[in-house]
Amino acid sequence: MTTKSIPINLLLNWRLHLIVVIISAISELIGIQSIPIANAKLLFLPLFYAFILCLFLNPNITKFSDKIITKKSASIAAPILIVAILPFIAKFGTLIGPALPKIADAGAAMIFQELGNLGTMLIAMPIAVLIFKMGREAIGATYSIAREPNIALISDRYGLKSKEGIGVMGVYVMGTMFGTLYFSLMAGFLATTGWFDPRALAMACGVGSGSMTAACSGTLATAFPAMKDELLAFAGASNLLTNATGLYIAIFIALPFAEWFYKKLSGEAKSTPLTTEAK
Amino acid sequence: MNTHIENAVAENLEEGRLSLKESILVLAVISIVSLVSNWAGTGISPIQAFPAMLIIYAMVIVGLLLSKFIPIGFPAVAWVSLVSVLISIPISPLSAPVLAELKNLGFLAIVTPVLAYAAMAIAKAEVDLFKKSGLKIAAISILVFTGTYVGSVFVADALL
Repeated sequence: MTTKSIPINLLLNWRLHLIVVIISAISELIGIQSIPIANAKLLFLPLFYAFILCLFLNPNITKFSDKIITKKSASIAAPILIVAILPFIAKFGTLIGPALPKIADAGAAMIFQELGNLGTMLIAMPIAVLIFKMGREAIGATYSIAREPNIALISDRYGLKSKEGIGVMGVYVMGTMFGTLYFSLMAGFLATTGWFDPRALAMACGVGSGSMTAACSGTLATAFPAMKDELLAFAGASNLLTNATGLYIAIFIALPFAEWFYKKLSGEAKSTPLTTEAK
Repeated sequence: MNTHIENAVAENLEEGRLSLKESILVLAVISIVSLVSNWAGTGISPIQAFPAMLIIYAMVIVGLLLSKFIPIGFPAVAWVSLVSVLISIPISPLSAPVLAELKNLGFLAIVTPVLAYAAMAIAKAEVDLFKKSGLKIAAISILVFTGTYVGSVFVADALL
């Protein structure tokens, strides 16, 4: 089952692309909506509707959609997705370029916020270990935001069938399914509270995948229309930096720290697996 | 117990790469889809936005070629991003004309189809994994996403 085995007619399956076109058009026509909550607002973007509507049309999720598109045809969306994000990344880049001088001004904040994502362990790891009584799954689940480079690292160190592997895959799957929506809602909500510099909110959008960055910064751009270009540029630059440095931060800082923190929390005195030391 | 699910997901990850030729073909279809989405969202007709889409298409292909022929482990997304950043920096001679065309392509409108593909791409194995250990992992995932995002916001906010 190599990549070569994907037949062209499956890649160009008209049902899949037609569903995407129709749903996208409907979602765009509905447009941006918002719901007020206390002093803040939840923002809903077309990308949100497109995601939800297509969940209903996914034959792996709802029974009736089997009649609209087969599971086999829908499965081709996975490799397509990897490519589909690229035009958006290109558009994103053209927002970063013109703003490069401004981004350079925020240099220190931009670089060090990459380390901010270590914050995830301080919150998630104790809860995973102490409250949910998770084992070494907690290392895989909480050492990073579980995108592709992070999976590659865990796979390299422990193997994907290990407990650490199951942990990282679990969060990866959740991120794939709901991460984009959650990022968009969270950013939109924090934006309307007025607690943070919008540029800080935008930079933090870059911590995850391309589509998370898109959803997150798209929401911010809607919340602060006057700063739209600047915010998109900051988020895009941050995501570029994450792509370039994320793996190294994971290897040299996040994973060793996760190992250490896990041992502290679980009181595990045993030595780490041989593979960790052998590397 | 969970292993076969994990295997399936892992296999998905490994197999899920299109060849360069397939990518170029699929990108053409995605470009058409994006033009329609852009039309519905911004009211700019596909004909008017066509040059912008063509520029984007070219930048993506250059990025894919670079990632293929310069194998230093830089992901394709990073190459594509680098190409488009370099073209649009103020000192680039292409910057002004390219940016003027790209105004016809809405940022959010081209993300919408991506999310539609994302929802269609959710596989049986992922649904099963979710049903089996859903709540615990969902709770941890939310903490992970929130912790990562808010952690970065705090650091960035303090240093700005």
